[in-house]
Amino acid sequence: MMDCSTYRRSMLADPRDPDAHLSEHRENCHECTAYTEKLLSFESRLDRAVRVRLPDAAATPWRAAAAPRAALYRRNRFAMAASVLLAVVVAGALWLASPGPSLAADVVTHMGGEPGAWLQTDVPVPGAELQGVLQDSHVRLGAGAGVVSYASSCAFRGHHVPHLVIQTESGPVTVMVLVHERVQKPVSFDEQGYRGVIVPVAGHGSLAVLTHGASTDLKTVELIAAQVLDSISWSG
Amino acid sequence: MNDEVGGNQKRARFQALCQSLRPDLLRFAFWLSRDRALAEDVVQETLLRAWKAQDSLLDEAAAKPWFLTIIRREYARSFERKRFVTVDVDELVAREEPTLAAAEEGDLAEMRAALFKLPDEYREPLMLQVLMGLSTAEIARELDLSGPAVLTRLFRARKQLRVLCGEDTRLDPQE
Repeated sequence: MMDCSTYRRSMLADPRDPDAHLSEHRENCHECTAYTEKLLSFESRLDRAVRVRLPDAAATPWRAAAAPRAALYRRNRFAMAASVLLAVVVAGALWLASPGPSLAADVVTHMGGEPGAWLQTDVPVPGAELQGVLQDSHVRLGAGAGVVSYASSCAFRGHHVPHLVIQTESGPVTVMVLVHERVQKPVSFDEQGYRGVIVPVAGHGSLAVLTHGASTDLKTVELIAAQVLDSISWSG
Repeated sequence: MNDEVGGNQKRARFQALCQSLRPDLLRFAFWLSRDRALAEDVVQETLLRAWKAQDSLLDEAAAKPWFLTIIRREYARSFERKRFVTVDVDELVAREEPTLAAAEEGDLAEMRAALFKLPDEYREPLMLQVLMGLSTAEIARELDLSGPAVLTRLFRARKQLRVLCGEDTRLDPQE
């Protein structure tokens, strides 16, 4: 079996490494289990720390039409100006003519940015961390929801929203609490390997629930969504 | 006509892709440069370059590494254009204090200041892993390093970071 030093070295390099040898060592070493819990708590803080808030820049929708400040120090200013002008005309016309991307497409795109969140694990996020992620959305999650193995406050469509991964009998399920996004009726989607549903929540926007991979059918996802919704209470 | 509609849809989708990735690209550039204004410039340039070269992105699933390659090149170019002399980390921390110590995230200010103090060679792979969600193999490709070299840098990054943050490191392994 792997020794403790090798295990901890591997964990410091990649605390979410799903390698079976690491799991085996953890299951058989009480000290390394305790070490891992503390390390994952540190990792959770690190995860939040790197996601600095950039309100000025991130809140404004990016368009190719926007004048780049960096262009001020480009060597070939005339060529850049011509490029920008072209981009202004083309992108501006396209922006006005085209519909916005669907909420489901944006949810799926967001998933691609956090592949590590899908790890199948029984290690829960520390309660304080989870509360920190949920409090801005005035959400409380009851015990019936299952083990929350990942919790992050993510930038999504100009707002910070709770992004959770809950371990269910059908595997890890991602939940995004979208208090700023309203839908009129449940929207199901099956895109890029993600299968899910966005359900309306009266007075609180909507809830996106999705799974990764083909093992869970849409009906099951809808049932899980209903269970998660039942376990949520709103404090504001 | 159909080609035109298809082209419009493709560009609209690319615009949405830029918009969805932009916050994390801004954060990545911020941690790379430790300078918010420069990060915004670099990302703006990156998105414009990406916009012009969008036809070369054949698989949307590969968008993130594609953007990261552009942003790292653009950041390197910014060094060619400007000759930076500021290396005083305390000065950098003080300058970016509003971003590092947002009022509602006071508990994270210490860790953010510690991240500023990490050497570039450790901070960059750590950001690629934690912020951008890249695997070790993807980081190795992006930084042109071997997998073991990436893991060593990530190990040293967290080890130094934990010391800087005053964590109990008695059980951390030695080099």
